[in-house]
Amino acid sequence: MNSKPAIAIAFSALVLGLGVGALADAKTITLPIEGPPLKASPLPGYAKAQANCVACHSAEYMLYQPPTAPRTYWEAMVTRMKVVFKAPIDDADMPVIVDYLVKTYGNEQPK
Amino acid sequence: MTDTTNRLRRRLIAGGAGALATVGIGALSKTALAQATTVDLPFVNGKRNLVAFPEKRPMIVLTTRPPQLETPFDVFNEGVITPNDAFFVRYHNAGVPLSIDGDKHVIKVGGNGVGKPFELTMSDLRTQFKPIEHVAVNQCSGNSRGLFSPRVTGGQSYNGAMGNARWVGVPLKDVLARAELKNSAKQVTFNGLDTAVFGGGDFVKSLDVNHALDGEVMLAFQMNGADIPMLNGYPVKLVVPGYYGTYWVKHLSEIEVVDQTFEGFWMKPAYRVPDNDCACIEPGTTPAATRPIGRFNVRSFITSVQDGAQLRAGQQTVVRGIAFDGGQGIRETAYSTDGGQSWRTAKLGNDLGRYSFREFTFAFTPDKGTYDLRVRAWNRSGQSQPMDALWQPAGYMRNVVERVSVTAG
Repeated sequence: MNSKPAIAIAFSALVLGLGVGALADAKTITLPIEGPPLKASPLPGYAKAQANCVACHSAEYMLYQPPTAPRTYWEAMVTRMKVVFKAPIDDADMPVIVDYLVKTYGNEQPK
Repeated sequence: MTDTTNRLRRRLIAGGAGALATVGIGALSKTALAQATTVDLPFVNGKRNLVAFPEKRPMIVLTTRPPQLETPFDVFNEGVITPNDAFFVRYHNAGVPLSIDGDKHVIKVGGNGVGKPFELTMSDLRTQFKPIEHVAVNQCSGNSRGLFSPRVTGGQSYNGAMGNARWVGVPLKDVLARAELKNSAKQVTFNGLDTAVFGGGDFVKSLDVNHALDGEVMLAFQMNGADIPMLNGYPVKLVVPGYYGTYWVKHLSEIEVVDQTFEGFWMKPAYRVPDNDCACIEPGTTPAATRPIGRFNVRSFITSVQDGAQLRAGQQTVVRGIAFDGGQGIRETAYSTDGGQSWRTAKLGNDLGRYSFREFTFAFTPDKGTYDLRVRAWNRSGQSQPMDALWQPAGYMRNVVERVSVTAG
C-alpha cells in the first residue's frame, strides 16, 4: 500500500471512510436475495421456463413487461436467448415456453 | 434504520404490512437489514419493489439478477449531483463480479490496430497520467421507456435511469497513445469483467477511433470523490460524456483497437435507433435503416413538485428542476403554467459544465385552480424538446416536454 499515490488515498479515505489498509483488499459484495419467482401455471411451459429462463436471469424480466406484449415478442426473446446467449434450450421446448410466457405475462393472459 | 430510509419510506406508497418483506442486503451496506417496500410507477404494470443493494440506499428494482436499479425521482431534487448510493445500475448479463481487487486489476490494450499492445495496472493509471475531471450525466438509453405510448417491450423504466456525477480519470487518448495506433485503426472496443452466463452475448461496446481520441472520453476511477461503487463499475469505468450509458463500460478490463466496424450483438442489432433526424418513426412501423445510439437529446424535468401535488393558493412556490443535453450545454429553460400556451424564461443555476445537469428555478404563485406545468430546455445549438412524444420501437431517447399537474386550493 505504500506505493498508492497520495491523491487516491486522500479521495478514497475521505469519502468512504475506509482505512488505507482496506484499499489493499478486494472490494466484495453480496447481492440481495432474488425478487419474485415465475408465476405458477398449469401450462407445461412453466416447468420448462423454471429450468431454462431463470437459470440465467430473474423473473422480473418477464413480470414487468407491458401486458400488451404479443407472442412475436416472446418468440423473439426465447430465440435470442438460445441463438445469441447460447442458453441450452431444447428446440422442442421453445414453443412450450413461449406459450407459457405469452399466456402468463403477455397479451394472451386470461381476462 | 437510517434517516434516509425513513424519509424515503414516508414518501412511498404504503403497501400495507402484507407487502413488506425482509431481505438480506449486501456486506457493504451500513444497515444489517432493510425492508422491501413498493412504489407504483405511473404506467400499467408499474408496481416495483424498493431494495437496498450493496453500497446503495433503497432503489427501484427493475431486475435483481443481474441488478438493474432505478433512482427514486425525488433524489434529483436533493441537488444536481446524484449521490453514489442512489446512482442507477444497469447490467446486461448475470455474471456480475462480486469481488475485485482494485489494486491488482489490469486493463489489457491491444487489437490489430495497435503497434504496441500493453497491460495497464490501476496503479499505472493513477500515477503515470495526468488526471482530468468531468461533471457528466450518465443516462440509460431506455430511460423512461415505460412511458412510451404505444408501449414497447424491454426494461420498463420511469425517469430515474439517469444521474449526474463528478468523474475523475485519465483521457483514453493518453492511454491509447502508448499503444501506437496504426493508420488502419477504425474503432475501439471495450469489455469489462462482467460475463454472460453461457458465454454468448458478452457485453462489448465500440466507439469510432476519432471519438475515442477526442480527449474527453476517459477511464474514470473516481465518482463524486470516492471509489466507484461496485455496481457502477469499480474500479474503473469508461466515461463517454454526452453519450448514452450503454457506452460507459463497467469494470473495464479490455480495450481493443480494430481495423473494422465492430458488430457484436450489443452494437448490432442492439442499441440502435432509426437513422433519421428525429431518431423516430410512426408507431408500429419499422425503421428503414438504423444507426448505433449516440448522444443524448435535450431533456428537462421539474423535481420539486410531483404530478398531482397540492399547493396553497396565493402563496409563492419556487419550482425547481434540472435540464441537460448531449454536450452543447443548456442555453435556456422556459416554463409554462397553462399547458404550453404561454412561456416564460426560468432562471438557470450554477453551470457545472456542458455535460452536467443544470438547475433551473421559477417562482409560481397560483390562484385557486388546477395548473398544467410544463418545462422545456434549449441547448446552445438551439435543439429542444418536442411537445408531443416521439416514438421508436426500442423505446430509447424519450425527451418529450414533461407535464406536472398541480392543484392550488
